[in-house]
Amino acid sequence: MPIRETFWNIPHWAEIGQYVLGLLTFLILVYGIWRHIRRWKLDKSVLRPGQWGKRLTNLFTQALVQLRTLKDIYPGIMHFTIFWGTIALLIGTALATIDWDVTHLLFDFQFLVGVVYNLFEVILDIFGLLLIVGIALAIYRRYISRPARLQDFPEPGLGTEDAFILVMLTLIAISGYLVEGLRIAVTQPEWAAWSPVGNVLASLFIAIGDPTNQTLHLVLWIFHIVISFVMIAAIPYTKLFHLLAAPVNIFFSSLEPVGALAPARYTSGPGVEKMSDFTWNQILNFESCTRCGRCQDQCPAHISGAALSPRDVIIKLGMQVWEPENGKSLHGDVISAEELWACTTCLACVDVCPVFINQLWSIVDMRRFLVDEGQIDAMLQDALANLGRYGNSFGQSERMRAKWTQPIEPKIKDARKEPVDYLWFVGDYASYHASLTDITRMTSEVFKKAGLDYGILYEGEKNSGNDARRAGEEGLFEMMVEENVATFESCEFKAIVTTDPHTYNTLKNEYPAEVNGDKPILHYSELLDQLITSGKLELSKKLNYKVTYHDPCYLGRYNKIFDAPRRVIEATGCTIVEMPRHRDQALCCGAGGGRIWMDEIEVEERPSEARIHEAVGLGDVQVFAVTCPKDVTMYQDAVKTTGHEDRLVVKDLIELVHEAL
Amino acid sequence: MNIVVLVKLVPDLVEELEIDSSGATLDTTFMRMIINEPDEHALEQAIILKEREGGEVTVLGPAIEDIDGVLFTAFAKGSDRLIKLVDGFELEVNNHALARAFTSVIRELNPDLVLTGVQAHNDLDGSLGPLVAEYLGMSYVGYVSGVTSSGDKLTVRKEYPGGLIGEMEVAIPAVLGIQSAEQPPRYVAISKVRQAMKTATIDEQTLTELDPSGGPTVSQMFQPQVGERAEMIEGDIDQIAAKLVELFGDLGVV
Repeated sequence: MPIRETFWNIPHWAEIGQYVLGLLTFLILVYGIWRHIRRWKLDKSVLRPGQWGKRLTNLFTQALVQLRTLKDIYPGIMHFTIFWGTIALLIGTALATIDWDVTHLLFDFQFLVGVVYNLFEVILDIFGLLLIVGIALAIYRRYISRPARLQDFPEPGLGTEDAFILVMLTLIAISGYLVEGLRIAVTQPEWAAWSPVGNVLASLFIAIGDPTNQTLHLVLWIFHIVISFVMIAAIPYTKLFHLLAAPVNIFFSSLEPVGALAPARYTSGPGVEKMSDFTWNQILNFESCTRCGRCQDQCPAHISGAALSPRDVIIKLGMQVWEPENGKSLHGDVISAEELWACTTCLACVDVCPVFINQLWSIVDMRRFLVDEGQIDAMLQDALANLGRYGNSFGQSERMRAKWTQPIEPKIKDARKEPVDYLWFVGDYASYHASLTDITRMTSEVFKKAGLDYGILYEGEKNSGNDARRAGEEGLFEMMVEENVATFESCEFKAIVTTDPHTYNTLKNEYPAEVNGDKPILHYSELLDQLITSGKLELSKKLNYKVTYHDPCYLGRYNKIFDAPRRVIEATGCTIVEMPRHRDQALCCGAGGGRIWMDEIEVEERPSEARIHEAVGLGDVQVFAVTCPKDVTMYQDAVKTTGHEDRLVVKDLIELVHEAL
Repeated sequence: MNIVVLVKLVPDLVEELEIDSSGATLDTTFMRMIINEPDEHALEQAIILKEREGGEVTVLGPAIEDIDGVLFTAFAKGSDRLIKLVDGFELEVNNHALARAFTSVIRELNPDLVLTGVQAHNDLDGSLGPLVAEYLGMSYVGYVSGVTSSGDKLTVRKEYPGGLIGEMEVAIPAVLGIQSAEQPPRYVAISKVRQAMKTATIDEQTLTELDPSGGPTVSQMFQPQVGERAEMIEGDIDQIAAKLVELFGDLGVV
């Protein structure tokens, strides 16, 4: 009967030695883990337990099934096979140990016998192959195809560590198979065919014969044991620590909407000045990073050639966790102001991170410190000062906010004076920007045509504060929320509709519950979709343009509104041709997070220009449709600077709807 | 060094200025006041001096409109003492009256240095600094863009027309009219201003009367009139731009 003889050919001293080495490994492992946990500073605020069901589901789908990791197919499969190959072999080894040194030793009973043993052998052989496939994929990727995101780490030693892990995994897998092959070559059991890989290898060894094979077997067995233990002991001392940190990070990750930025924690000031100001959730973020570089690949700042790589920010912070008192100051020595200000807060990095790191949270926390210290560029300073004084970034009088309504008769309702169904929060750009007021008036015409009962706040509207908050000016954000909330409370309305996705995001996800709790917050593309679908807004013309649609970050990635604007475009009789980067993959225009107020960074190619090239590359697309006022200005400029004015027209969604009326 | 900074509030030009029905003064219906920009530089220069050489900065302003906000912001930036002059200040106050009012308070503060903006866009009767210096009997240097101190002497950099800069020594106490601080006025986060509102106190100094004598009386205020040789270009942005290009072409500029 097939039976597992676990320590075949292993002298007693080697077996004992294995357990001694195992114990040592365990101690080194535990010490290493304790070193990490000691640094997490568990007394820091933000822990987020509760909602256990959701958290356990996340743990299952993201740590075990690895759904987000698998979204990027090649590295996803690579990781999945290495992970499950290793885990299966680890479980197999544990079972064999229990079978031999627990049940057999103590109770004279073995469960790895007969059919069970045959299945055990064949399953482990298959998982071993999966592991080797995964390792081969990894070696090819890291050393032959060499994607940029795996190169140029801020610390060259990290590349050596990556190589060490791959070499160790390779040696463990190969030596494991060789040991199996040698054992089969010597014992030649009837059930050898159940170990297909081992059996093939055995056929090669038979020719060598005994006792060489027995000696070889023992030597390789010892080698296999030693490097396996070294690998296990190395877990908390290398990026393999993500095996522990990543699941914990996923479990503790925020279940709030992604559009709700973590509020500033006021320690000495509202921001993060030094490593110890980070919460333990953020430290855990840094500890979970595997340097996979997916964030860097998605980052519009990095793509354009700016100083920022979210990957490097997290790597550098992760290294600093270990030496917070090395004399380097967090600001300047570890993370530069250029890196922090290059971020457009587009969320692409957060959205792709397979271990659920929130790079943006830490970047904004560090910006908060810079703002509190007054270390900001002159243009941003002006914009913030204007927001504080006039409630808009343009530095114009509040009384000019509704100037765009002057030609409109009858006057648009003043929501502060009479009840309305829809309170239209117009936003700064749509209200003040000279080249956008025509579009804003079109929106009001379309609303009127749909028979909507709507009103605006006139000079009572203040900037919503979304971007001031992301620029790091938390106090200003709080002030704007207070002012707007006070205005909202004096008005009677059933829903809020916004023109600007940035405003939409903060009203929906960050304003207090009395504003966003019981009343719907809609983006105008959602409202248009509802009006068209319900038949309240009838479009009589078919436009027949070929249109590509750019998902604004704060509407798409932040709030998952992908389909409503597309349905509206289709309702105007246009055909949508998607750009390669669309929906949650859409490239940011470069204006978010306060970047539109700052001095331009020297870049190789502006994100907005790269985006226009992407659209032009689609061939015969005529219209570049957007649903964000800032996008209209950003892309109209980019179309001019790239010289594509004759090929592509930037249109707001409302222009298409208006034309199709 | 004991430094006093004088700030005054001037009409904010984001609102269009209108002349009231009397024809001799501005219509205050929609007028809002903002800190005079050179005064912000004076405050910045004072804080730079304090940070570099130690001392105390006292900020003094007339109780007009949002003077509290201005003073709390100054505190958040690093000044130590806030004083507002309470009296029947109207939005448009004559500099002679304001200088006399400031002088009575400054004397008690016994400062080494008095800094104020070199000018304001509503200086109808000369700028504030020289008037204060005259009433205090101190020396005055205007158009200053840098100050260093050594003992009881100051070295100041004064800007002259034509891009010239003069460096001169001034004995303290002195009054300086600041053109620009050594670095642009700093940004102060709203959270710090709000903190200042909770922790700082504003001393109120009540004045008995304002004496505007010595200043001119405005008989008529009016918008700039179109000169005879000027040609006003009318139309929308595109038409104006096209006309400009045409004109530049005719003149041989482009």
